Amino acid sequence: MSGLKLDGKKEMSISSEIVDFSNPSRVYVPLMNGNTICACLTKAGKKVKKGSIIGKREDLDFPILSPVSGTVVDIKKCLYQNGEMVDTVVIANDMKETLVKKNIVSDITKYTKEEFVELLRKCAIKGMGGSDFPTFLKYKGEVEILIVNAVECEPYLTADLMLCKLKAETILDSITAIMKINNIKKCFIAYKENNTIVRDAFMEYIENYNDIVLEPVKNIYPAGWERFLVKKVLGIEYDRFPSEVKVVVNNVSTIYSIYKALKYQRGISKRIVTISGEGFSIPINILVKIGTNISTVIKEIGEYKGENLKFIAGGPMMGNAIGGDNLIVTSALGAVTIISDTEDEINECMGCGRCIKVCPAKICPAFIYKNVNNKEKLKELNPELCVECGLCSYVCPSKLGLRDAVKIAKKKVKE
Amino acid sequence: MKFIKENGPHIKSNDSTSKIMTRFLIALTPIICFAIFKNSVIVYSYASKGFIESLHPLFMIIVGALTSFISETLYYKIVLKNDLRTSLYESYRSFGIISGILLALVLPPNIPLWLVSFGSFTGSIIGKMLFGGFGQNIFNPALLGYLFISASYSNLMGSPFNAYELDTIGGATPLSNLMNFNYTGSFENIVSPFGDLFNLFVGNIPGAIGEVSKLLIIISFIYLVITKTIKWIIPTIYVTTVFILTFIISKYIDAGVWYSLFHILSGGLLFGAVFMATDPVTSPLTTIGQILHGLSLGILTVLLRFLTPYPEGVMTSILFMNMLVPLFDKIGIKARNNIRNIIIIVITFILIIIISILNITHKLDKNSSNVSELDSKVNILEVKEDGNKKIYEVTSKGWGLIKADVEVEDKNIKSIIIKDSKDETQWNEIEKNNYIYKVIQNQNNIDKLDAVSGSTYSSNALKNIVKKVKIEEAK
Ligand code: SF4
Ligand code: SF4
Repeated sequence: MSGLKLDGKKEMSISSEIVDFSNPSRVYVPLMNGNTICACLTKAGKKVKKGSIIGKREDLDFPILSPVSGTVVDIKKCLYQNGEMVDTVVIANDMKETLVKKNIVSDITKYTKEEFVELLRKCAIKGMGGSDFPTFLKYKGEVEILIVNAVECEPYLTADLMLCKLKAETILDSITAIMKINNIKKCFIAYKENNTIVRDAFMEYIENYNDIVLEPVKNIYPAGWERFLVKKVLGIEYDRFPSEVKVVVNNVSTIYSIYKALKYQRGISKRIVTISGEGFSIPINILVKIGTNISTVIKEIGEYKGENLKFIAGGPMMGNAIGGDNLIVTSALGAVTIISDTEDEINECMGCGRCIKVCPAKICPAFIYKNVNNKEKLKELNPELCVECGLCSYVCPSKLGLRDAVKIAKKKVKE
Repeated sequence: MKFIKENGPHIKSNDSTSKIMTRFLIALTPIICFAIFKNSVIVYSYASKGFIESLHPLFMIIVGALTSFISETLYYKIVLKNDLRTSLYESYRSFGIISGILLALVLPPNIPLWLVSFGSFTGSIIGKMLFGGFGQNIFNPALLGYLFISASYSNLMGSPFNAYELDTIGGATPLSNLMNFNYTGSFENIVSPFGDLFNLFVGNIPGAIGEVSKLLIIISFIYLVITKTIKWIIPTIYVTTVFILTFIISKYIDAGVWYSLFHILSGGLLFGAVFMATDPVTSPLTTIGQILHGLSLGILTVLLRFLTPYPEGVMTSILFMNMLVPLFDKIGIKARNNIRNIIIIVITFILIIIISILNITHKLDKNSSNVSELDSKVNILEVKEDGNKKIYEVTSKGWGLIKADVEVEDKNIKSIIIKDSKDETQWNEIEKNNYIYKVIQNQNNIDKLDAVSGSTYSSNALKNIVKKVKIEEAK
C-alpha cells in the first residue's frame, strides 16, 4: 500500500500540559451523527440532565445525549465541522452536572455481549478518531481481534498521544474488559514507530496484561486508516468492513470512552482537543466539554498569528477550513489547526503520475480529474474507493484539487 | 478575524511543475556544455574554422529554445487573443523552451539554423499548441519537430560529423557502419573504427550534438532519479529490453557482450530513453503502463534497427509509442484494480518478443547468404597499391558483365572508372542519371540508394561493386 511520510509537527503541542476548559456556560449540540441529520427530541425551555436524550439518529435508533445539566434555551443553526450550518441544541449549563442516573459498576467485565452492545448504543459511544461511526455496530457480530488505533497520523494532532500518556492504564483495563466480554483472543495497540511517548506510556503497564501487544507501524500517512492498519498489523485485506474478517478497529479515545460507559454507564461528555498550527500563538491540548464553542476557549488561551489564516476543523489533511472560528466541539473533533494559506502555483496536469503512485486506495486521481464529467468513464475508475486522505492533492506538482474532483466523481457514480 | 474557507488538504508538497522543469533543464546543462565543447571548442582549436562558425552548435540550441518560446507566445497572443503579459506568462508556464533545446540536441552539428527554427516552430505549434497547449499534447513536441525536419528536408540536415571529425575519421557513424556489415561482424569491424567501447561511452564519436556522451547522460539520469524528476521506470526498462534482445541476437551471431553494449552506447538510445521517453505529458501515468511502454519501446527500437534501412530507430519508436500511451494507461488502470487482468497482455508481449527475435535472425540469415551471393557476382581481379591509394580492378555481373577500376583512398572510394559495359542494355539511363556519382556519394549507406528505374540490373551491379570493395577495405 502506498502512502507518504509527512512532516508530523507533533512537537508543537506536546510541550505544555493539558488545560481544563470543561465548564462552559453554554453548550451547543449539533443534531448530527457524522454527516447524517438526526431528529430533535427536546425543545426550548426544557430542563435536561447530563445524559438526557435530546436527539436521535433514527435509522439506527442511536441517541444524542446532553453533555451537561441545565436548560435548553434555543435550537438554532450553528457552524458544524463540515463547514455547513446545521440545527443545534443550545443548553445553558447550570454547572451542577446532575446525572440522569448515578451508577458505579465495580467489576467492569461482568457484562454479557448483548448487554455490552446495548450499553454502547445507549451511551451513544461513537468513533472519536473522526469517523463519528456508532461503535455498537462494530461489536454486533463475532469478534476475534481488536486493533486499538493510537496512530494519529495527521500532522499537528496530539490529542490521542496525550490521552495515552495520561490514561494508559485505564485504557488497558478497558481493553481487557472488552476482550473478556466479547471473547476476543488478541489485541494490538498500533502506534507510529517514531512515537516513543505512546510506546513508553503503555510499556510501563503492559506486562500485567495478557494478549495485548504493542504494534509499531510505519511513520507514513495515512497509516491510521482502518484498511491500512488491518493490512499492516494482520496482513489481511477485506472488502468493505473489517467485521468481515472478525476484526474491530477502535480509536484509542473511543476505548477510553467505552471504559467510562462500562464503569459509570455514561456517554461521552468531554474530550481532549489539540489546538495547533503556525497561525496560533500557543499550541496546546485542552480538555473541553462536548458542545463547547471553541472560539471562546481560544480567546482565553492565546491569539491568532499571521495573514490569510485558515481555521481548520481537524488536521490539515482531512479537515475543512470552515471559514470562521465559531466551531462546536463534537466527540469526533480531535483538533483545530490554524495555519496560513499556501500560495499555490497551479498548472495543467503535467502527467507526472505521482497522485496515482501515492493513492492508498489504488485508484487513479489524475484520470478521474480529467474525466470528471464523463460518468461512463468514471465508473471504470472506481472513485467510490477513495478514503479522502487528500494525498493526491498534496503531492500534485500542478496543485490540482484532485480530492475534490474524486469526491464529486464519487457522488456522480452513486447517482 | 476573517478566515479562508476552502477544501483541503491545507498543506501541499513543496514541489511544483516549474521546479520539476527547472531540474530537467539543470540535468541538460552538462550535455549542452559537452555538445559545445566537442563541436565548438575542439573544432575551433583543431579544425580550420572561424570563431563564429565554430559556435554553430550553441546557436542551434539558442535558436531552438527561442523559436519555441516565441512561437508559443505568439500563439497565445494572436490565436488565443491574450494580452502580451499573459501570453509571455502562459508561454513560460508551458515550458516550450525545453522542447526547443531537446530538438537542437538531437540534430547533427552542421544543420542550417533556419531548419532548427523550422523544426522548433512546427513542433511547438503543430505538436503542442494545436492540441491545446501544455499537458494536452499526444506527441512529444521535440520529436515531432524532428520528424518534420527529416521528412521535409532530410537532404539538408548535413552530415553527423563536425569539421574536426570530417578531417580525422570520416566514413560512417557507428550505426550506419554496423548496417554496412549487415549487423554481423567482428569487434574489429564494428567497434574498432571508433576506437573502443570507451570512446562510445564518453562520447568521442560522431553523432547528433547532444546524444553522444553516454557518461554525461547517465550522470544526468542519476540526478533526475534522485530528485524524483522523471519516471525512471521507462528508461530503465527501455534500455534493459534493448540490452536483452541484442544479447540474444549476439548469441545467435556468435558475438560477445560487447555487441549488446555497442547497441546501447550507439545512436540516440540513452538520450531518447532518458530525456524523450520520460516526457511526463506524453508517457503513461500508471506504473504498469510505464513498464509496458518501456518494453514496447525496446522491442520496436530493436526491430527498426535490424529490419529497416534506418538504423537509428529511437526517435521513431518514441514518436510511434506516444500514440499507444492511452492504451498502456488503460491497461495500467485495469491492473491496479486487479493484477490478474493483465495476464493476456503479458502473454501477448512474450509472443511479440519471440516473433521479433525470429524475424531478426531470419533476416540475418538472409544477409549472410547475400554476402556469399555477392561473392559470386563480384570478382576482384587485381589490387594495385600506390602510396595511400589503392586501385581495385573488378568485374560485376549485371545484365552482362561490367569491368571497372575502383580508386580508394583512406578506405573511401574516390572514383569508379568503367572500362567495359558494352553488354549492358540501358547504360544510357545510368549515365543520364549520373548514377556512378551517386553511388560514390552514398557509399556508406549504399542500401538506401534506389536503383535507376529501368536499369535495375546495372544499378545493382554498381552497388555490388561498392559493397564488395567496402567489405574488402574493412577487413
Ligand atoms: S483519491 Fe482519495 S484515497 Fe486516493 S489519494 Fe486521493 S483522497 Fe486519497
Ligand atoms: S499529480 Fe497532478 S500533475 Fe501529476 S499526474 Fe496527478 S494530477 Fe497530473
